[in-house]
Amino acid sequence: MSTMDIGGSQLDASWFLILGAILFTIGAAGVLVRRNPLVILICIELMLNAVNLTLIVFSRQLQNMEGQLFALMSMTVAAAEAVVGLAILVDIFHVRDVEDVDELSEMKG
Amino acid sequence: MAIAIFFIAAAMAVAGAIGVVSFREPIRSVLSLVVVMLALAILFLLLSAQFVFVVQIIVYAGAVMVLFLFVIALFGPTRELARTRLRFQSWLSVLFVLALLGLIWAMLQGVQYRQPDKGVDLSFFGTVQAIGVGLFTTYLYPFELTSILLLVAAIGAIYLSRKRIDDL
Repeated sequence: MSTMDIGGSQLDASWFLILGAILFTIGAAGVLVRRNPLVILICIELMLNAVNLTLIVFSRQLQNMEGQLFALMSMTVAAAEAVVGLAILVDIFHVRDVEDVDELSEMKG
Repeated sequence: MAIAIFFIAAAMAVAGAIGVVSFREPIRSVLSLVVVMLALAILFLLLSAQFVFVVQIIVYAGAVMVLFLFVIALFGPTRELARTRLRFQSWLSVLFVLALLGLIWAMLQGVQYRQPDKGVDLSFFGTVQAIGVGLFTTYLYPFELTSILLLVAAIGAIYLSRKRIDDL
């Protein structure tokens, strides 16, 4: 009971959800594998986008606007996260060059 | 038609996502992420989320990605070294990611889809008017809270990037 009638053709909501899952896991792989802090922030943006896709799919499948409103809220949160994350990185880059996130271990107890 | 659009956009999104993770230069990762965002914008339009489609292109692909490009342009192209501190980190993360994908897949098999709400006019669905009515009536309070969140983020960014006294 998850098919949606889009422009006359029947699309299944689970296709979109699987696409969202694939994008989310690729983003998670990037966060784990990449060393550059900037690229890790980019991968987090990718994961947030994948979640936005699932919100909008459920919004369409249930024909309920609240999913889209929540997607807009999460875009705002993502923008705030990007701004603060980039500001912290710029602040660190002023002091020294960082090639590897593991170098940033000054706050380790 | 819609099925063809879905599969083209999905292929674009997955290819872009693989590009984000695998390119060595950060600038190429950012440009791949723009491709992913445009593909997702197409899918949003397919799911009759017109306003979110426009916001995705203007705010995300436009503003946020330009912010990333600015930071990369400011600090020069830093190529990532292939070395890692932790041995087997890439293998472990591939294993973890496959397990995560399998878990999400298994979860999706058991999803019980609720019946759509009755009596929703789909010609009104996802328009600027519908979003505006939602944001300024039922969800006015969360909407105002997000504006405070953006204000806090802006103040935090200004504070973090201020000129230090010992720099002068």
